[in-house]
Amino acid sequence: MKPINIVLCGLGGQGILFMTKIMAQAATAKDLNIIGAETHGMAQRGGSVVSHLRIGDVENSLVKTGSAHFLLSLEENEAYRNIPFLDREGSLYVNAKTDRFPRAEVKPYLKKTGIIYRSVPAGEIAMGLGAPMSSNLALLGFFSVFHEVPLTYEDLRETIDHISPDRFKEINLKVFDAGVQKGKEESRL
Amino acid sequence: MGNEILLGNGAVALGLVEAGCQVVTSYPGTPSSEILPEVVRLIKSEGLNTYVEWSTNEKVALDNAYAAAISGKRAACCMKQVGLNVAADSLMSAAYIGTTGALVIISCDDPGPHSSQTEQDTRLMARLAKVPVLDPSNPQEAREMVKLAMDLSEEFRIPVILRPAIRVCHARQNLSWGPLKNNDQKAYFIKDPGRWAATPRFRLVLHGELNEKLRKIGRRFETLPAHNFHNLEPGKTYPLGIIAGGVPYSVVRDILNEEKRTDIPVLKIGAPYPFPEALAKPFMSSCKKLLVVEETDTVIEYFLRDKKKVLGRLSGHVPPQGELVPQVIHGLINNVLNDLQLNPFNDNGDQEAIDLVKGLELPVRRPTLCPGCPHRASFFAIRKGRAKAIFTSDIGCYTLGLNLGGVDTCLDMGASITMASGFYHSFAQDEVQQPIVATIGDSTFFHSGTAGLLNAVYNDARFILVILDNAITAMTGMQPTPGLGIRADGSKGKAITLEKAVAGCGVDFIEIVDPYDIKAMSASLKKATKYVKDPEGGIAVIIARHPCVIAYRENAIPKKIKVTITDNCVECNFCLDRFECPALFKDEELGRVAVDQTLCVGCGVCLDICPKGAIVES
Repeated sequence: MKPINIVLCGLGGQGILFMTKIMAQAATAKDLNIIGAETHGMAQRGGSVVSHLRIGDVENSLVKTGSAHFLLSLEENEAYRNIPFLDREGSLYVNAKTDRFPRAEVKPYLKKTGIIYRSVPAGEIAMGLGAPMSSNLALLGFFSVFHEVPLTYEDLRETIDHISPDRFKEINLKVFDAGVQKGKEESRL
Repeated sequence: MGNEILLGNGAVALGLVEAGCQVVTSYPGTPSSEILPEVVRLIKSEGLNTYVEWSTNEKVALDNAYAAAISGKRAACCMKQVGLNVAADSLMSAAYIGTTGALVIISCDDPGPHSSQTEQDTRLMARLAKVPVLDPSNPQEAREMVKLAMDLSEEFRIPVILRPAIRVCHARQNLSWGPLKNNDQKAYFIKDPGRWAATPRFRLVLHGELNEKLRKIGRRFETLPAHNFHNLEPGKTYPLGIIAGGVPYSVVRDILNEEKRTDIPVLKIGAPYPFPEALAKPFMSSCKKLLVVEETDTVIEYFLRDKKKVLGRLSGHVPPQGELVPQVIHGLINNVLNDLQLNPFNDNGDQEAIDLVKGLELPVRRPTLCPGCPHRASFFAIRKGRAKAIFTSDIGCYTLGLNLGGVDTCLDMGASITMASGFYHSFAQDEVQQPIVATIGDSTFFHSGTAGLLNAVYNDARFILVILDNAITAMTGMQPTPGLGIRADGSKGKAITLEKAVAGCGVDFIEIVDPYDIKAMSASLKKATKYVKDPEGGIAVIIARHPCVIAYRENAIPKKIKVTITDNCVECNFCLDRFECPALFKDEELGRVAVDQTLCVGCGVCLDICPKGAIVES
């Protein structure tokens, strides 16, 4: 399998590392090798957080600019900041209000390069279900509708079921499913 | 047994346990902090008897591990790269004296730097101390190298350094392992004061022994195919070869694979010192030019003899500072390919995107103290009460007090106190009474505060010292401090009372306040100011005691207060600039400051800060 490069980003405290963990665990459950890179320490205190995940047989943990197949962002400005990571055939998924995304200055670049972009109000979905800190799962659910390689919707859902602590399991799955629902609605449009 | 996605530091911990390491000491510091907790996790799940300790500082950690290593045991101590500066005194001497068991020093580098004062290269420290150093390129290799380091150390009776860089420490990789078991080597100590307490005359002999050990280990490193190797085809010559070590090796390998460049041979040097001369020689003679890619300083490049052939930092082909991330290495290899008129890579294609992002003027997100952080309250009171003071500070979360105008200096661990006394004497010499407020965290105070405080008291310096006691080492991931009396494995130790330690340093003015109570904190600062100025006074210590809201989520805020902003808000931005709570933000639609209820933790401190009284309980 050709290595798959994923960049996940947002702000400290939004659950970027948990989102990365779900994807990484789902991949290893399918006997794929993973390597990734995280942000710790001073850089983690409320600043921009970027997490790299590479699925396949590679040696180094960082995604090179221009080579990410997927960019998942829990915050709109952080999505823009990390656009240079995207491969020209990559896809961008953002937690943002659909009507305003993307900013006018960014649109021509995305169109020209053929980067697929979709936004979902993941924060609102999570908030609506009483789990304001779980926008990561709503975004992941939404994303899972559009791609089967390297991970399917079932792979991700099973992993969430498997690794969520008992007291969060039900709500985590509920938020993930709500993201999936939103994705299905959009894919029908 | 296990099969898990491990943090690089977890892979190092696994390597330690697999290598039968019996004693592990550490002081936390990014990117090394998770090694010891991962060792603890493994010894608990596998029922092992490994001795672990959070030591009070890195020198203490190294001395403790060293004693184990001259008792025939296998020992390790873990720290960040600047921690090795603190432990350098111990390291230099231990290199000469040697061990009977094994001593592996794990010093984690931070190219970037992401969370450090410097980008210093531990390999140079190894060269200075004359001890072997291993430089892993990813978590799996780090795990293997721990075992190698232990074996080398025991065989040659010499401390060995492993230097994983941040992209090893904080990488994650799936690894599996077999059963783990205790090492039953018993402690023994053979008295030999001529060695263990050697006088300078015998140190010369020991230096000779050390040089002989290095000569032998250098030869060993020439035939270490797992970590030092190249892929030359015999008899072939190449226009360009790459020599790389550590994390940059893994990047170079991936780039050449992705670009399908079999025309560029690579010499990987995972064990750079003592330098494997005989391995490098044929590689050098088979390549017309050599590009050296290493982090963060110049080590391999210095060791290569024929400098005319070598492209690297000394020739300006590799940036002399900053992390060598994949796009940087891709770019610098490509520049060399272009210079040498060799077939260059396809354009990385990211420049247009980089320019686009630059043009968007995205908000800069600097790190900031957490909502409800007691340090924020302390800094607010200090800044308000002692606006004209020089604010010396220290290493920890509270360095972020600089966002609040409460930090003017940050040099190294403990320097808040030593620099405060230095500032005092500099101004006092000119008969100027310069107000000075030093801030230091509880863990940093235990690390290296006491010697400076004793010195300041003894030499009659005058300043206010605020010890920000949040009962945890927060920045590095919530390790216990000596003040808690909880040890690395969760067992009970004896809690050290901070105020007793301060009194023991000769300080007579000690007040303990809860910084959440800004009025009480301000009153205490006033009293302290008076005491410092009094000819009969001295150094005043205020212990600002309130638990970290992240470590003690459940009880750091006993009574949560819901706050709201009234129409009295005149958009003066005082709260945003001076208090900088992430939960307070400018709501453009409302035209005033508002509270983000998802971020607010209900500490209620902000009720006391608005000059217009617009922040109220709702």
